[in-house]
Formats: sequence, structure tokens, C-alpha cells
Amino acid sequence: MTLEKTYFRPRSIGEAVRLAAEYETDLRYLAGGTDVMVNKFQETDTSTCLIDLTGIEAMKQTQQKNDHLSIGALVCLDDLKKIPEISAEFPLLLEAVQAVASPVIRKTATLGGNLLCENRCAFFNQSEWWRQAAGFCLKCNGATCLATGGTLNCFSKFASDTAIALVGMDATITVLDKEAEYTVPLEEIYTGDGLDPRKLDKTALIRSIELPIGRGFRSVFKKLRHRETLEFSSLTSVVTIDQIGQVKIVLGGVDPKPVVVIGTIADDKNELIKKAIKKARIVDNDVYSRLYRKEMIGVYLNKSFEELEQADFLSNKLAS
Amino acid sequence: MERIKFKINGKQYELLVEPHEMLSAVIRDKIGLTGTKIGCEQGTCGACTVLADGKPVLSCIAPALRFDNAEITTIEALAQNGALHALQQKFVDKGAIQCGFCTPGMVMTALDFVNHHPNPSTTEIKEALSGNLCRCTGYKKIIEAVAEYAAEAHRPIRFSKPNKSHLHTSVGVSRPYIEAGRKASGAAEYADDIHVKNALHCKFLRSIYPHAKIDRIDVSEALKLEGVRYIATGAELPVKFGVLPISQDETAMAIEKTRYVGEIVAAVAADTEAIAAAACRLIKVEYRPIRPFLEIDDSLRDIGDSEKIHDYGKFNNNVHKKAELRFGDQQQGLREADVTAKMTFKFEGVNHGFTEPHAATAFWDENGLTIYTATQVPHYLHRALAKTMEVPLSRVRVIKPTVGGGFGGKSDPFPHEVIIAHLARKTGRAVRVRLSREEVFLTNHGRHPSVMTVEMGISKDGIIQVLDADIVIDGGAYGSFGVVTSYYNGVLLQAPYKLDNFGFRTYRVYTNKPQCGAMRGHGAVNSRFAVESLIDELAYQINMDPCELRMKNFLDSNTLTVGQYRITSNGSRESLQKVMEQSEWKKRIGKLPAGRGLGVGCGFFISGSALPIIWNELPQSVVHLKLDFDGRVLITSGASDIGQGSDTMLAIIVAEVLGIDPEKIFVLAADTLLTPVDLGSYSSRVTFMAGNAAKDAAENLKKEILRVVSAHFETPESELNLANNRVFSNDKSADLSWLEAVDRLTAGRGAVSVSGKYISPKLGGDFKGAGAGLSPSYSFGACVAEVEVNPDTGQVKVLQVWGAHDCGKAINPMAVEGQLEGSWHMGIGQVLSEQMRYFNGLLINNNFLDYKIPTTLDTPDIHTNIIETIDPEGPFGAKECGEGALHPVIPAVTNAIYNAVGVRITKLPINAEEVLRQMKAIKVLEATQELSLA
Repeated sequence: MTLEKTYFRPRSIGEAVRLAAEYETDLRYLAGGTDVMVNKFQETDTSTCLIDLTGIEAMKQTQQKNDHLSIGALVCLDDLKKIPEISAEFPLLLEAVQAVASPVIRKTATLGGNLLCENRCAFFNQSEWWRQAAGFCLKCNGATCLATGGTLNCFSKFASDTAIALVGMDATITVLDKEAEYTVPLEEIYTGDGLDPRKLDKTALIRSIELPIGRGFRSVFKKLRHRETLEFSSLTSVVTIDQIGQVKIVLGGVDPKPVVVIGTIADDKNELIKKAIKKARIVDNDVYSRLYRKEMIGVYLNKSFEELEQADFLSNKLAS
Repeated sequence: MERIKFKINGKQYELLVEPHEMLSAVIRDKIGLTGTKIGCEQGTCGACTVLADGKPVLSCIAPALRFDNAEITTIEALAQNGALHALQQKFVDKGAIQCGFCTPGMVMTALDFVNHHPNPSTTEIKEALSGNLCRCTGYKKIIEAVAEYAAEAHRPIRFSKPNKSHLHTSVGVSRPYIEAGRKASGAAEYADDIHVKNALHCKFLRSIYPHAKIDRIDVSEALKLEGVRYIATGAELPVKFGVLPISQDETAMAIEKTRYVGEIVAAVAADTEAIAAAACRLIKVEYRPIRPFLEIDDSLRDIGDSEKIHDYGKFNNNVHKKAELRFGDQQQGLREADVTAKMTFKFEGVNHGFTEPHAATAFWDENGLTIYTATQVPHYLHRALAKTMEVPLSRVRVIKPTVGGGFGGKSDPFPHEVIIAHLARKTGRAVRVRLSREEVFLTNHGRHPSVMTVEMGISKDGIIQVLDADIVIDGGAYGSFGVVTSYYNGVLLQAPYKLDNFGFRTYRVYTNKPQCGAMRGHGAVNSRFAVESLIDELAYQINMDPCELRMKNFLDSNTLTVGQYRITSNGSRESLQKVMEQSEWKKRIGKLPAGRGLGVGCGFFISGSALPIIWNELPQSVVHLKLDFDGRVLITSGASDIGQGSDTMLAIIVAEVLGIDPEKIFVLAADTLLTPVDLGSYSSRVTFMAGNAAKDAAENLKKEILRVVSAHFETPESELNLANNRVFSNDKSADLSWLEAVDRLTAGRGAVSVSGKYISPKLGGDFKGAGAGLSPSYSFGACVAEVEVNPDTGQVKVLQVWGAHDCGKAINPMAVEGQLEGSWHMGIGQVLSEQMRYFNGLLINNNFLDYKIPTTLDTPDIHTNIIETIDPEGPFGAKECGEGALHPVIPAVTNAIYNAVGVRITKLPINAEEVLRQMKAIKVLEATQELSLA
């Protein structure tokens, strides 16, 4: 267990970022902490300063701003279903939330925290002792990836289910760091490098998540996991189609970042699916094999398109 | 340290807390509210759930400092003025509590849920509780308790009175465990809840190599750390131990070499756990790795110039034990059989997954060594500690506190118990230890990974003609119960079906992995799976209903098996009949929609081993009763209640014989100083053996009472009755209340003590190996499962399980149901998701996130049936119910998969990938056949 030396619980975003700038070399922001505290227990996170954001009320607000809904990053996953705009316009997000961890964890875990969930690997999410015994992997400053035997790339899995849903709905996030506040499409913060999976300043925190209102997303969410609860994803797939016919495929759990394929309803869906399978850099770092997960991408996406078509058919039928 | 102020259960606290301290640690260790449990340290099991400002929080992953000014509610706050909260009471009344370790977290989660969902559906309850793991109950009674509480919660009375309807009941009537209230309220003390004054904390340094010579251990830097009181290494504890006298192959710490990754190499006693852990990191060990043996095949082969894991056996390999028995000539039998089938099966290792991690505290005083520890077998630990500490047996006292589940995983003497005894002696202080969940998994002793080829022959009309099994089991680094396991894999195939021609050979090999041992259903679970799969296969081959085939072959009651097991009561047929009816087998088999199927499995198990592990002439169980002036009967018994309800069973039996309320009985159990020897909670022996001893003792006490009452009233003893808390003659000329009778008995004499015992009858043949699996009685059972297989993914969902188990007589039906439901749930885990996965000898899934015990949502609807056959020798006809039920459920599920999609499962756990692959192969085959037909 890492013995943190410092713990802060600031009451404002400004104070949090100020503290972060001061302790920049060795800090970890803490939202719900359901991911961070386990990583600290296993010592895959050895930062010695914790800045606990849960006292910042301003980050728990949700409001409609012009053409988008802005969700505070500290809204608990479990509380999202209580926000009528989300149920009405973005049920996909609620489906994803329901697939995260367990009900008790969702009462503490936050949306912002889930987006920043650390990438996972069977050989990395282990105690310090275990990793020493196994031989430290690339992600803990070792020389070799234990999943692939390679020495260059870490393919730790992208673990956030809500991010997959949000990227599917073209969400942006508002980030604040010691230099500036800026808004960026969510998918752009993910690097695809398993060692350093997020392109964010050390002092950066997500203030809010913005979802575009009125895009009329139709969507299908699927998650491959061994048990029906508790599990991190072995494959999360989202397909969305918006009003103007943009098709977006987003995959989680099969690459160090969300795998995104964009097309239109006019495109050959088989081609889109092929593209998604090709893009996913899956390695054997999960309870399911690489090949099975790869095969399941096709199965899940085909099924998703079928379900969307069926829903279309039904709604057309209802309309007529 | 930072100052924190918060209210816990309405009381204001102001404390100094470290930034890295979790709320659970503060609640338990600083405030002393030990009702909140720590089962996994990673927010997965839910045992640590508390409410913070009214919201459920997993306190083991919540930094304490976050809760400045918060109001925390723990399980201890729910009961008020001596009355349990209605939800707690519901858990008690419904039998939703077995070991009780998950109960506090489960109750807190359920309470919050019902507060927000006053009229929940069963599905909603399952969903809400899906982050709280229970290993004992199969969740069924927990879900029922929550549902009933929710249904009644609108009533204005928040605190309900305990349900007293059970007061005048005894054998055969459901009754909550006598300690259930204590478990529900958080008051029950488990090993880690017991705080002996001024105790040091122990942490271990564990090997990072599977097989390595230890050249040097340097503890000098670690010793310099302030607060470190003692560091022990292997050489200080050279005496070998093990649960079986023939496998004394383990030392408390590795001495010259390590044999698995995770073996203890050094132990630190320090002022705090953190200091002890820090000191472990400063210990330098120079290892010289040698060739590890990680797979069964490697250990079977001649190893050339490499070093064996143990200097054991005359061959140059790592075979630990070969067990072989043959009745008849199997090869000839197979040649002569009408139809034969042969299959090879592979099983991954599985772990008990009890929710309470191992924990213990040891100290020495004028009485020698005392240890509080989470154990199933105080007696064997007593012997092992005397041996390793090199003190007389009379200088060791083992006390079993409340134990949070065992399932065989707490039935060996363990290194951590020996080490803290040693550290306590060296430091003159009490020393405590609690293992992390990762350490619990490394300690293992779980079910052996196995490979077996089994061949069976049957006649065209479905009579089993021959069975031959060739088995290899992977024992890991040490012996444990392995010699018994080796035999059980074979011998426990000679029932429940008639077999004249039967043989097996089992090899147990050592490998450089954590050792395997006894786990629920010991030894026979995997080989039973093989046989039940083969029977299913053969039934399809001869086009006979698999249930019908089984019915045709069951052994009768009062018969001998081929290996001379004495079968007395036998409810095989009734069990199978029951699940066939309930599942509407005949109506539905073969007529389910695509992808759905029904499967069946049967099984049997011993009701206690007729032979003790350590040969001696002591009875297998002794129970003492003391009756004093207050009318209370004190039962003292060495039997270990680990959540299965044995304390309650003893009370019910004694109450029945004496005709008094169980409330007049106090059970003092499992303290080797105070209680007479019982061999422990293993081999499903407690109800049969300790129950019989308790019955014997109670009858002896009854005789004493009858004697004085008869003399006083000059009424023949045969005219007297003990019932309804009275002693009375048939004509009522004598009619005394219980207390009046006690007054007569104790007059001029004082407290009366009597003793009772159980000694198994002499059983079995006189050939070598005849003793394995001998039992005074056997349980029998059957399961039908219904599954759904996803055609696109190969994923299997178990929809329903119908189970029936012949337990002879259900002394406490609610407890029996709980054992059955828990067994079926555990079997579903083994078939669907549980396995110990290794990477170069290193256990990958050493936590409750990655070791996949089924949650509420993964557990099917379970239909429970108790079959009673009234065993002639069991106490009131009772026999075992805690292990045997596990056997049939696993093949029932896989046979249902075969029925659904034609895929024969030969590897456990089921792998969706493999199911899918085989489904595709079948499609290709069918297409080719169609083509060739066309």
C-alpha cells in the first residue's frame, strides 16, 4: 500500500488546480476513487499526494447550455438516471452506466472518473509483489510486455464503458488545467498508447461533459463480460446513428483507446465492421482470448446493426 | 496525520488519520466497530458496505479523510434497544445467514435499496445485491429475506419482535441458527475482530520464484526499522507438518528452497501492520532459480538431472502418490460391453472462495500457547502446533471463533498459524495476522486441477457393465489431503450406480504451484462429472432417456458396493424422481426451443469418514453436557461451526431428546481446552458424528433424570416422558416442570455432567485401499438444469436448477436447504466461471474481481427439495447435506448444453469460445452430411 503523504479536499475547482500545480510531480486527483484506490492498494499508482475533488459542488451540476447538455464530471454514475434530459435524449449513456462495475460502486464512482479509468491488463492490475515476481512489464517501467513479449508497445485495454457511449454520441469535455480551460472532443484525449493513455496535463481535470442535444441518436450498446455484473469490459461496442445518418462505431476493451469508425447509413455496414475489427489492436491480456474477442466484435456489430434496422422497421411500421 | 471529525452511529469522533487510511480500517481498528468486514480490499465483495450520509459506500476503498463531518452508519447502528432491525430479523428468520461474514454488507446494501425501492421485483433485488458476494447461501434466502422485508416495510412498526414460533420446535422444524442474531447485528466475533492486548502485527515476505534455492536471507536492514520486533526465517521452524500423518512435507517457511510463488520465506512481527509490511520489503533474499515443474505432464515424466520438488518416492519424477484399485478385469469388460464410450476430461483448479480471509492471533502465557484462528479443524491444528512448537499437547489451546466460511479451505494446519505461534513465543507478545485476499488465494488448498480419461461400457438395454478411470491430479507444492484426494477420485465412483466391474488409477503429482487439498465435495467432484457426462453420452448412443438409464442402474438400499461400501438408506430414486417431476422432464426434454436444453446429473457422498485421519482409538466425536440448578444445559463439543449450522444442530438434537426448548441450551464449541475432541468440520461428518455423540450424551442425561423422577414417584421409567419442558408420566401422576425435575436431579449432588460419544462401526474390506471412502452412511442426490446457449457467442446461461438431496432426515430443514442451495451455487461457479489461472506458476486471478464467483445475477432460480430416507444410524435418521449436493449440478449443466446444442463439454470451466467452436464444427458436419445425402 502506498503511504500517501498528503491529502487535500478542496472546495473549488480553482483551489484544486492551484494545489495540483503545487504538487504536480506526484499527484492524483480523486473523484469517486473506486478505480484509483484499488490501483493504490495494488501500487500500480504510487502518487503520494491525493487531491479529492468530491467536495467541489460546482462539478456536480448538470445544465442545458444552448445546444448541449453539460453534465458535471462529479455526478455519480448512479445519479445520472435521475436527470430527465439524459433519460430522454441519451439513454445510451444510462445503458453504459448500468454495465459499469456493481450497483454499490456506481453510487460512488463518477462520470468524470470513469472517463479517466486507468487502462487495464491481466499482467498489470496486480500487486507490487506479483508484478515483481512476474517481471515488471512495460507499464510498470519494465522492459517487456508480458502479454505480447514485445518491447515497444503497451496494449493495456481501454476500460471505460461510459466513454464508449459518450464518444458514440460525439461528446466533448471541458478540461481545466494550470494553464487554461478548453473544450475538446472526448475521443481526442485518448492517445492509444497503453503506457500513457491520456493526452492531458498532470494538473488537468475534467470539469464537465457535454452532449449535443437534438441529434436524435439511435443506438445499441453491448458488453462482453464473464459475469453479469462487477466486470471490466472484455469488449464494449456501441453503434449510433444520428438524424442526418451519421453512423459511428465505437469499441472499448479491445485497444488502448476507443476504436472509432465513422460512416453514413449509405455505407456498406460490412465494410464499416471490417474496418473496426482491423483497427482494434487486441492482445491476450484478458480472460477471453484475443481471437474470441476479435470474432465477437463482428458478432456484436452485426447484431447491433440488425437491432437498429429492426427498430427502424418497427418505428416505420408504427408511423405508418 | 490529519484530524478528522465525524459521527459514527450517532456518536461524535475526533481522530488523527493518515492520508492513506481507508474508512474500513478506521471503523474497525481505530473505533473498534468490527461488524464492518473486509473480504477483498478492492471493493468487489461488498462486505465492507456502510452508509455515509445515508448513501452506501464501500469503506475498504474509501479514504477516511473524505468523511470529515460526515455521518457514518454501520451495521451496529441498526439494532436498537436490543431489538434487531426488521431487515436484520428477516435475514435471521429466513435463514439468509450462514457464515455471516457477508451479512453486514448485504444488509446495509439491501437497506438502502429498499428505502429507495419500496416495491421491488425479484429482478431488481438481484440487481441491487449484485455487488455483494455470498459464498454460502446461493443468495436464494437472502433475496427472499429482502423481498419479504420490502413487502412488510410499509407497516408502521420499524422494529419487529423476533419470531418466536420456533421456540417449541425441535428435530425437523426449521429454525434460525442460534447465533444468527449476533451475526446479523455485527456483534459476532471473527478471528480478525478479536483484539488481544498489546499485540504485534505479522506480515510475510513471499517467494517470487516457483522453484529456487535460497542462498542467503539478509534481514539486517529490515531489523533497523523502528517498530520491528522480530524477524523469523525458515530455519527457525524446521519441524515438518501436514494434515495427514503420511504427508508431513511442509515447513512453516521455505528453508533451503522455495516450492511455489507465494511461499513464505520470512515473517516480521512489528508494532503495526504497515511497519511489518515495510520491513518485509527491506529483507534481501538471494535466490538461485532451478527448473520449475508447472504442468502435470512435466511432473509425471522422468526429470533427468533436474531437482525433484520433494525427495519423495523411488522414481525420478514428481509423482506424489499412485492409488489404484481394480474389481474385475476392465479391459475384458470393455471388450465385452455392448456399447462403450471413452472421453478425456480436463479441469482447472478452483478455490473455496470463503469470504472471510484467514486471520489469527497467538500468545503464550502460563498455560502455554493459545491461538484464536479461523479454522475448521481445531483438533488437527492442536496436534500440528504441539509438534511444530515442540511442546506437549497439553500446552496448546486452539480456539475457533466465528468462522466466515471454510468449504475445506480452513481444514489444514497453516503456515501462518505456526509462524505467529513462533513469533509470539520469541517476542513474548501476542501476535496477530490477517491475510490479504491475494494471500488467501496463494494459500489455496483448493480443488486439484485434473486430467482424466474415463471409459464406460453399457448393455443395449442400458445396464452399466464396466467403468475404468485413469486420473492425474495436480497437487501443487505440498501434500495436504492429497493422498485422500487421490483415492476419492476413484473410489467415490462405485456408487450411486451398481457396478461389478470397476477400476481406477490415480496419480497425484507435485508441481511448483500453491498446494491443493480438500474442497467441498472432496476428491469426487471432477471424476463424478466425467462419469455423469459419459452416462449421458451413452444414453444418447443407445437412444434411452438419460434419467431412465440412471433409474435402471441405481444401487438399492441396504446393499454393498463392489468395493464393499455399506449402503444403508438410499434416496437416489426419490431424488431423481423429484427433479424429473418438478422440471417436467418427460414433457419438456427434447421439446425446448432452439438453443435451450435440459440436463441431468446424480451423485452421492460420504457422511463422514469412518476412519480418523490420525489412527487412534478415541471416539470420532465426544460431547459433554452439564445441567445445573438453573435448568440450562451446557453442550461442550469440539465440532466446528463454520457457518453450516452445527452448533444449532447440536442444540436441536439435545433439545429433542430432553423435550426442552433450544433456548434452554448453551453451546460451547471448538475450544480445545474446554471442549472434548471432535475431529473437525471436514468429510461431511459433523451432523452424523457429533450429532450422534450429542444424542448419546442427551440420552445419558435423560436416563439420569428418569432415574430420580422414577424413584421419587415410584413410577417405572418406561412410563415417563420428557416433552414440552416437562417430565411427566403417562397417567400424569408424575408431572414436573423442567426446573422441578432439575431440582430433583441436582439435590444433594449439584451440577450433573454426562458424556456421549460416536464411534463408527467397523466397515469395509481388508484389501489395501479398502478404507478410502468408507462411511457409516452415504447421501444421494440429483439435479436437473436448464440452460440457454447463445448461438452467436457460445455464452451459456443457466436458467433453472432443480435439485433434490437425500439427507436422511433434515434436523433443521432451513439449514439443510441453505447447504444445498450453497452447494449448487458453488457448482455453478465451477462449471461457468471459476478457475485458478497461472502465468509461469504465478496465480493471475488472485482477487474477487478476477476469480469469478457467481453474483446474484449469474445465479439461476434454484428449486430445492429435501429427500428424507431416515438413515438407520444417523441421529434421528440424519446424514450429510453440505457437500454431496455439489456433485450432480455440474454435469447437469453441461449435459443440458449437450441437449441444447449438441456440444459435449469435457473441460471445466465452460469456455464460450470452445462452445462456439464446437457449434460451428457441428454445423459444418451437418452441412457436409446433407450435401453427401443430396
